[in-house]
Amino acid sequence: MSETRNIVEVRDVSKVYKRDAFEVTVLEHVTLDILSGEFVALMGPSGSGKTTLLNMIAAIDHPTSGEMRVNGSNVFALDDAEAARWRNENIGYIFQTFNLIPVLTAFENVELPLLLTRLSASERKEHVMTALSMVGLGDRVHHLPKQLSGGQEQRVAIARALVTDPNLLLADEPTGDLDTKSATDVLEILKRLNEESGKTVIMVTHDPHAASYAHVTRHLEKGELLPL
Amino acid sequence: MTLSLFITKSALRNKRRTLLTMLGVAVSLGLLTLMMSVWKGFYLDTGSAESAQRVITRHKVSLTNFLPSYYRERIRTITGVVAVVPNSWFGGTYKDDKSGNFFAQFFTDAVEWPKVYPEYRIDPDELRAWQRDRAGAIVDDALATQYGWKVGQKIILKRNIYPVDPELTIRGIYHPPEASKTMYFHTEYVEEAVSWAKGQPGTFSIMCASPEAVTQVSQAVDDMFKNAPAPTKTESEKAFTLGFINMLGNVKVFILGIGGAVVFATLLVSANTMAMAIRERTREVAVLKILGFQRFTILALFVGEAMLQCIIGGLFGILPATLMTAIVSSMGGFFAGIKMTPGLFAVAVGVAAFIGFISAIVPSYNASKLAIVDGLRHIG
Repeated sequence: MSETRNIVEVRDVSKVYKRDAFEVTVLEHVTLDILSGEFVALMGPSGSGKTTLLNMIAAIDHPTSGEMRVNGSNVFALDDAEAARWRNENIGYIFQTFNLIPVLTAFENVELPLLLTRLSASERKEHVMTALSMVGLGDRVHHLPKQLSGGQEQRVAIARALVTDPNLLLADEPTGDLDTKSATDVLEILKRLNEESGKTVIMVTHDPHAASYAHVTRHLEKGELLPL
Repeated sequence: MTLSLFITKSALRNKRRTLLTMLGVAVSLGLLTLMMSVWKGFYLDTGSAESAQRVITRHKVSLTNFLPSYYRERIRTITGVVAVVPNSWFGGTYKDDKSGNFFAQFFTDAVEWPKVYPEYRIDPDELRAWQRDRAGAIVDDALATQYGWKVGQKIILKRNIYPVDPELTIRGIYHPPEASKTMYFHTEYVEEAVSWAKGQPGTFSIMCASPEAVTQVSQAVDDMFKNAPAPTKTESEKAFTLGFINMLGNVKVFILGIGGAVVFATLLVSANTMAMAIRERTREVAVLKILGFQRFTILALFVGEAMLQCIIGGLFGILPATLMTAIVSSMGGFFAGIKMTPGLFAVAVGVAAFIGFISAIVPSYNASKLAIVDGLRHIG
């Protein structure tokens, strides 16, 4: 870790959902700092607010109260268009269920975020091939998602997340749908991206084995962040 | 990859559904194109410049009532009249009563006829030969081609209205701006054979000095015979033709009704398809937003997809309809103006695009404003 600045600063963030007459508190006064270059695991039981916190860091959900700065930006102040542009430039998001576009090849799936940039076709190709090579899928570029195994699909999803070269990778249960071998492969890739490329990784997981790849593990319970 | 390719691939995601939607649009747009070309041919086309200078005078009561032939000389005295010829519908049968053998036959004054129809090109020698031969006839090139008629060939028409079976020799083949499938022969032939037909033409065709003179001439002719035993109705050649079409009923309402129903039905089919397609991809919309796609881009992707489907489907319908209009147009007469033009083609494609746009705009807009967290929770 060459840089030590905070890439994520969460200050007293709360999130309350209103369901009919009831109010459900998902996050309660969460304060958290994540250093640039860290690999952080967020653990906790279902409903503890892990994914909600991750979504807020990605500027796709808003808190009821509190402040948050991610990569220097006050993400809660961004409007829809600004948030979309900001995500494209700053965030790589990895889902549990991969969420690849079924009609696009691995190459095209990875290229998708680059269509929103000013890169030329040849530059985009170079970036895509680099990203796919980093996840070990340089030979699967023309395969459709249905022609790939789950592990390979997740690796394509990781390539898609890092193709814009964001410095923050957010992973929501990235190994949840994978067998042990594939899960280990994915975790190794995330670890390598953290250690060799300096990407900050924030990973939501239930799996202690997955969490063991992180430098820091933070636990959430009933919306509260437990002390280290 | 480009966003266009992404749209194309997305449109082909569910091939069967896309194909069926396109087929529905194709049938509808084909029908709509036919209706539009009929509308254009009947109501919008003004015909040739010469046609715009021509008026037809008929009996005010009915087309089946004849006019006295002396009206011709009186009409000549009206300012703005260049030439007048009697034109009477012979209505004979050629070969048999099959509709394929039907064509228009008029008897007229061969000498003045070229002055009233100057845009009909005919070889001067053939014209002179027709004018000299009382049993001569001229036919337009479409009719000659249909029957393989040559100059000098004899043909016989069987009687229907007038009790005579003309034995005519084709003396010339004329070339009108649009196929008319019409034959002209001499008034004298009929008048000499049928005594009661003498001096009683069905209509007069009048060539006016200019298009501006048409209204004044029409009014003057009708005023001239307002209190005569045979009052007249004079109208432009276009209006006269439309009179025949209107005998079929309210063709305008019929065409508008069919066209409107077709567009509306297609809109429903397309809207249903797009609503299903977009709903199935709710989660994908959320993913695209996370990747950085903005609301407008997502809106454009879905609307573009629907428009692409409808335009391609529309083209599959418009092209066969173009072929059909060519066939109908070749029948000549009233149908000669029913043809596809670049303008009509553009309108048809525009309607297809419009259907795609309207059918997708609401579900696309809803998808574009979908909250990402809601989209990610979507199962389906």
